[in-house]
Amino acid sequence: MSLYPQSTAYTQLAYPAAQGYGAPLPPPNPYYAPPPVPQPYHVDPNVFRRDYITRLSNLTVNSRPIIQSLSMIAQDYSRFADVVVQCIEQHLRRVPPWMKLPSFYLLDAIAKNVYDPYARHFTPVVVRLFVDTYEAVDPTTRSKMEEMLLTWRTGAPDGRELFGVVPQLAIERHIWGSNSTQSTGNRGGSQSISQAQVLSELEFVLGQKERVLQSNPYDKATQSHVAILQQLRTLVQTGVSQGELGQILSQLRTLTTPPASSSPPPAPTPQSYPAPQSYSAPPGPPGPAAAPPAYPPQQSYPTSFEQPKAEPMDLSRLLASAGASMPSTSTAPAVPDIANLFSALVKAGVVPATTGANVAKVEETSAPADPAREAARAYRQLIRSHKVKLTSSDITRSRVPITEMLYDRLPTQCKQCSARFSDSPAGKKQFEDHLDMHFRQNRKASQAVGRGHSRSWFITMEDWVHGEVVDVKGKGRADGRIVNTKAAAAEEAAKRDAELRAMFVVVPPGDEAKPISCPICKEPLKSEFLEDDEEWVWRNAIKKDDRIYHATCHAEAIASKSSLASRLRNEASSRSRSRTPETRTPPKALATLNGDSGKSETPTPSRLAGMKRKAEDDSVGLGLIKGEEDAPQAKRIAT
Amino acid sequence: MDSVENVNVHTRLRTLQPESEYRFELDRGTSLAIKLVTGHAEIFGAEMADGKTYLFGQECKAAIFTWHGCTLEITGHPSVDYDSEETPMVTYANVHMALEGMRVSALAAVHGSPLQEDDVDEKTGTEAPRVLVLGPENSGKTSVCKILTNYAVRMGQNWTPMLVNVDPSEGGWAIPGAISAAPIPAAIQTATPASPFGSVATSAPNHVASNALLPLSYWYGHAEMRRNPLLMDRLIRNLGENIRDKYESDPESHCSGLIVDTPSSFAASSGTGSDHRLTMIKACVDAFRINVILVVGHEKLSIEMQKTYGNRMRVLKIPKSGGVVELDQDYRERVHKYQLHNYFYGHVIEPPPGLSTKAYVQGGEQTPDLILHLSPSSTTVNFGDITIYRIGEETMAPNSALPIGAARVVSEVQPLLVDPSLSASGLYNAVLAILAPPNPDESERYDEEILDLHVVGYVVITALDMPNKRMTVLSPSPGSLVGKTAIVGSFEWQE
Repeated sequence: MSLYPQSTAYTQLAYPAAQGYGAPLPPPNPYYAPPPVPQPYHVDPNVFRRDYITRLSNLTVNSRPIIQSLSMIAQDYSRFADVVVQCIEQHLRRVPPWMKLPSFYLLDAIAKNVYDPYARHFTPVVVRLFVDTYEAVDPTTRSKMEEMLLTWRTGAPDGRELFGVVPQLAIERHIWGSNSTQSTGNRGGSQSISQAQVLSELEFVLGQKERVLQSNPYDKATQSHVAILQQLRTLVQTGVSQGELGQILSQLRTLTTPPASSSPPPAPTPQSYPAPQSYSAPPGPPGPAAAPPAYPPQQSYPTSFEQPKAEPMDLSRLLASAGASMPSTSTAPAVPDIANLFSALVKAGVVPATTGANVAKVEETSAPADPAREAARAYRQLIRSHKVKLTSSDITRSRVPITEMLYDRLPTQCKQCSARFSDSPAGKKQFEDHLDMHFRQNRKASQAVGRGHSRSWFITMEDWVHGEVVDVKGKGRADGRIVNTKAAAAEEAAKRDAELRAMFVVVPPGDEAKPISCPICKEPLKSEFLEDDEEWVWRNAIKKDDRIYHATCHAEAIASKSSLASRLRNEASSRSRSRTPETRTPPKALATLNGDSGKSETPTPSRLAGMKRKAEDDSVGLGLIKGEEDAPQAKRIAT
Repeated sequence: MDSVENVNVHTRLRTLQPESEYRFELDRGTSLAIKLVTGHAEIFGAEMADGKTYLFGQECKAAIFTWHGCTLEITGHPSVDYDSEETPMVTYANVHMALEGMRVSALAAVHGSPLQEDDVDEKTGTEAPRVLVLGPENSGKTSVCKILTNYAVRMGQNWTPMLVNVDPSEGGWAIPGAISAAPIPAAIQTATPASPFGSVATSAPNHVASNALLPLSYWYGHAEMRRNPLLMDRLIRNLGENIRDKYESDPESHCSGLIVDTPSSFAASSGTGSDHRLTMIKACVDAFRINVILVVGHEKLSIEMQKTYGNRMRVLKIPKSGGVVELDQDYRERVHKYQLHNYFYGHVIEPPPGLSTKAYVQGGEQTPDLILHLSPSSTTVNFGDITIYRIGEETMAPNSALPIGAARVVSEVQPLLVDPSLSASGLYNAVLAILAPPNPDESERYDEEILDLHVVGYVVITALDMPNKRMTVLSPSPGSLVGKTAIVGSFEWQE
């Protein structure tokens, strides 16, 4: 485990917007904590307890060093996890409200960074503790706690709920749920069903099944149910229609018989999601409260994109470990509904009939971005495994498997031109396109017999800079649209620039010979004689506050100033979670932005003719630029 | 060891051991056909297709390398041919893998994927490789560039490395005197020395994307760097700036990296060019934001580079291939002629006598007679229709040769208008670069703007009609030349 994981986690908390792919979490050791370093003292839990309480009492303000050191002690003495947890709980209950938040940050840091065994030690107490604290503190602290709670959704090393789905849901429902539980109470209701709602219910049922499976690893029926549910989850995550969501949801609800409460309490195995004692399975359907408005549904599980294969792997690992650590006890809770659910879904065409292990296939067809990234990642691993440094010794001595890289890895070869392709489905597709290309070119060549060919003129700079590589091989990207918008934006910018440069200021009589330079770029302004008006003018000039600027310099300065201001403002507002991501500006705004803001600042040449211009107030441009700043900002929150 | 077996008087089979190569040199007017019979083989990093007959001509000097061992069927009579087992290919492959590591790290950084400590090089960070290849004359710089580029595009990762040629005597994709850059989407084929890095697009259909490249080209106009180093410096920086613009418009494209081939004068440690070479290297390093310098077979230069740049980038000496042929000035001039001819007319290599098959490929193209014959267009225009400039004085003495205290009357980079009606204009048979139109906004123009305009095509003045003030211009494609701006250099060409 890394030495200072706390700092990263802590930064994430302070700036939750940047949180997300919290990769630097220490690698989880899911079952056993590493043997603690033997220490000459603290052998006695009571001594340790006294010591830890003393240290905790220093945690009165939000101080990173204190939290770090407390967290590191917790890490070193993970065999006393129960003691640490008790200490923190007592401390939290005892201190006044204004001192509670730092202690919660400590809890958060320990649970995230020393995930095992602390997360499961906290799990039984965390719901009550959170809810009680939440009710005791002021609104500011509450919003901080809400931020923290959101990070718990994906806080576990495998990207799932830090304390398991049930406590997470319980807390979320308590905090956000009161106003929305009723709406889904009416089942036939015509409300639209959000993906997150279905997902959270799915997760809940899945959690139940997994616990059943833990206590009973050889239950084939439950195993297949879990597999099916996991597949369903993947399906829902990749996106299904509203009607299908409804179908899945109603089927799921018939399953929410309370197996968790009826099944024997799970044995205290060292598993990730033991059922919390303080929490019994909810009798009713878990409401849509799981999706508070501040949290976009499709981003509820951001890690699903990053680790598309994590679920099946997890399960097999889970199964294997459970099987190894536990003797078989056969209590088969009969839940036939899941099979029914699945077959119903197959009939309805929601789930493809090829079931089981074909999760990967589903992903591939519905999320084309994934395999490409996946392939890039696999390739990166391959290159990393043959790391060569650019040093004399490395390049002369190493032996890289170059024939593997150049030949064997890409077994499909074009007989015509020797280009090679991989055996993957994507590679096969590329190869097909490639053969089509040969066919087309051959046909063109035979059709053009007798017609002369000639060397082409070179393309314009604009096309060269923004153009894609000519796609003769059928390998290129198909997003010609982006190229066009880029070109259009550039054109707009050029037009605006020309308009700016056409602006002029009439030279006051007598000042013709006076050298004058732009205060921004310090370059002299060029004066010229305007034949039509019979006047001397400064070209590309603008008068503002009695100073003459280059019009282009001035426009640039305004643009940068206003975007800075709006960025600062957005930084400030992003601290609170009040903004709903639905108001996000579509990315399109980015492309048109330059043109628009330019127009608002720059008069058309006709309006300009013979007129001395003063710069307009820059508030219009400011508002527009804010639109640009909005988009990435919202994205950051969502992650 | 190697076995040579004659099939008929012209054709023989040749077996190569793994990691060895077959080298050949062709005389003028001869050609060679090579077919891969068994195994795998590659020509400067471009794999040969099994069973296809490849043609070589125009005094091509090349080598066919095999990692696995192979059998070649060779038809024709090269002036020299032999097998060699001593090649630097293992080193080049290692360099390629190191560059590949930089590419994947750069892509990971662009994608925002988690990086490992290992991915971040202490000198280059997570930057894509931007490689400057330096070396003395006849060290095989161009071949190194070609091999590294070809290996990159063969990785199946859709890399399109940017290949930059700043050697005006080589010509790259267009004609000699140009410096250019082009993204390479497919392996570069070898058939003639006239197109060392593939060919510029024509109106004909092509099977290999590297035969239809779209370079960005600037016109230097001379074969020798020392002729006008100031202009060269400026053009290199222009090229670099536009490549940066391209990267900014598509951040993923820059992950493929960039490889710069340089003239040998960059490495000359003595002679008239040496005073400028460090300036030139610096211009390249700055313009292309170089982070890897490869020095081919030149210990002293490599140490010099290590001292100058070693603290902020990787500087590495790599061995030169023993197969490099000493090329004389006559040969280079003939290659220039081939290049100009091929630019306008294309070139179809005559198969060698005795070749049994009619199905052969030239530069990867399967139907060379259909698509490699080009028809340029010849038009007559008035003298005034094209504005022609020359950059600097026609005969430029080096600064050091001027009398002490004397300043140059005309600066080296000052555009001078050339009047075709003067008999001393020197335009007859001259090669002109037709420039992109200047800024449409007149107020934005500046005196030296034409130095910063890229080239849209090259033409040759084939006839001057003094009494009628008209000239005949050979241009690659139809298109009006009226109102164009052109620059004349020191290249001349006659059909």
